[in-house]
Amino acid sequence: METLGFLMDGFAVAFTPYNLMFALFGAFVGTLIGCLPGLGPANGVAILIPLAFTLGLPPETAMILLTAVYAGAMYGGRISSILLNIPGDEPAMMTCLDGYPMARNGRAADALAASAIASFAGSLIGTIGLIMLAPILAKFALTFGPAEYFALFLLAFATLGGITGKNPMKTVIAATLGIMISTVGIDISTGTQRYTFGVLELYEGIDFILAIVGLFAISELLFFVEHRMGGGRDKMTVGKLTLTAKEVISTLPTQVRGGVLGFIAGVLPGAGASLGSFISYTLEKQVIGKKGKFGEGDIRGVAAPEAGNNGASSGALVPMLTLGVPGSGTTAVLLAMLISLNITPGPLMFTQNADIVWGVIAALLIGNVLLLVLNIPLVGFFVKLLSVPPMFLLPIVTMVAFVGIYSISHSTFDLYFMVAFGVAGYFLRKLEIPLVPIILGLLLGPEMEKNLGHALVLSDGDWSILWSSSLSIGLWVVAGLGLLLPYIVGPILRRRMHAAMKETPVSD
Amino acid sequence: MTSLGDRTLGLGLLVLAVAYGWAAQQWPEPFGGAEGVGPETFPTILSVVLVAGSLYLMIKPDPDAQWPMGKSALELLISVVVLVVYAFLLEPLGFIVSTTLAVGVLSWRMGAAPKRAFITGLVSAVVVFVLFNYGLSLSLPAGLLEVH
Repeated sequence: METLGFLMDGFAVAFTPYNLMFALFGAFVGTLIGCLPGLGPANGVAILIPLAFTLGLPPETAMILLTAVYAGAMYGGRISSILLNIPGDEPAMMTCLDGYPMARNGRAADALAASAIASFAGSLIGTIGLIMLAPILAKFALTFGPAEYFALFLLAFATLGGITGKNPMKTVIAATLGIMISTVGIDISTGTQRYTFGVLELYEGIDFILAIVGLFAISELLFFVEHRMGGGRDKMTVGKLTLTAKEVISTLPTQVRGGVLGFIAGVLPGAGASLGSFISYTLEKQVIGKKGKFGEGDIRGVAAPEAGNNGASSGALVPMLTLGVPGSGTTAVLLAMLISLNITPGPLMFTQNADIVWGVIAALLIGNVLLLVLNIPLVGFFVKLLSVPPMFLLPIVTMVAFVGIYSISHSTFDLYFMVAFGVAGYFLRKLEIPLVPIILGLLLGPEMEKNLGHALVLSDGDWSILWSSSLSIGLWVVAGLGLLLPYIVGPILRRRMHAAMKETPVSD
Repeated sequence: MTSLGDRTLGLGLLVLAVAYGWAAQQWPEPFGGAEGVGPETFPTILSVVLVAGSLYLMIKPDPDAQWPMGKSALELLISVVVLVVYAFLLEPLGFIVSTTLAVGVLSWRMGAAPKRAFITGLVSAVVVFVLFNYGLSLSLPAGLLEVH
């Protein structure tokens, strides 16, 4: 029951008018980011970090803002899935399957409303799961020594590509590159200058915020330029809402199943929101069987994946908050915010920064209510914004990224660096080297080195300490599996997800 | 299908990994003598991992992606140049002028009509400038438009 007390304290933090205002703003911007194709949640949160930073927001407010954006983006992804058959972000892919047919049958408004309700239910279940699981995991994580942490970081990298990832070796390369970049600067423990080449700006290391913004935002712009996707889209009409209470109630079991499955997928390393929504959809199809009209606009086919991906997005916060090890791109970016606020992520956060952790969790609950309220009446507004062509939008987004980075340090040196990261990001994406492990490497590199150092000092230089406890051996085994499984299970799962997409009647 | 992209990347990474690892061995021993972990230990491990990864890439490359050719490549180059020039001119020309130019050129090159593109640039520049300088009191360079 101690958890409940903390949660109440969290609500006290989140319910101050100041924080509430930022939660509302975040939820709004997040939905916008989610529904605009080409501006994924990780991307959007990354652009907002420098702004949150320069505004001098107190840590809990900054985190509440970004968490609200994160939750909002998960809501927003469905809008373009349903109306345009283009997922706004990857986890919203499965929503296309029944959402788009529903829109074609003239029930776009119903699909949007049903998916908003399902998103809410999924998030709610996910957040409740987070509240119950996180403190237990944090307590357990307190028993971790440096050797266990080192193994845990390896596990995070190994599973980041996900079971459905294409080439685990490229994940390894990306992570190594990220960690290498993080070693630039003066070594904390010995004071040795590493890879600074005498350049003063490099002494303090490379700021990961500008690396993140460059890699995500600038490379996105370049991708749009290359594909000439600047043009607008057709105008869309949403139509009248005809959804009945009875229909909503009939999807309740679907929502619960989807939310729970999504949450589990979110917590587990290597699964993530995309897999969460996929599993929820497939299971729903199995449970309902022939009675449903899946793929032709079944309302449950909209509710299941949305509940799943929103459940997963709350679930993904569990490893990030308790272990300091994010399992997805967006949570990695949230971690970047925590680190730049000088908060050491990990189990100690639950005791040392309880107000922030519980404030964020409470904000997640409040944010969800706000999102539901925002999404149903304002959906027409978001739809209008969806027809703003990227040729105007992306240059402005890029400009905001410039402003954000510039206002942190007032140095143009950082801007050149950011552009360089953007160009590098473009090439890496072209070569299918994933960017998220690079970011995670940048963030976790210093911690990883520190833990390695501590472990070896404890053991007097004996390297076998890294795999001497049963817990660390377990972590090593899971990490190994994380690299091997994609070779074995990956092709099968990918083919299935692909096949599910093919079944949709989009060809006509 | 060729796999030149991955092979070239692999080669580049191999060179990087070796140079990175070699540089780590050159640092003087820290004051107080060598302990279990010196400043070079972790970079050395990383360099070994990257050598292995880059060799793998060269031996088992994935098929190539579609690389932009001709006009698209030129457009990409233009965009990068615009970004660099934007960063360069931000302080001398001031935020509003340089942003109008940068956003204008970018959206024009992405397919907008020139007039609408530059109007978008100007409007967004003024809005952000006013918002930052007066709303949030974070100063952006005024440059040419500075009132003396």
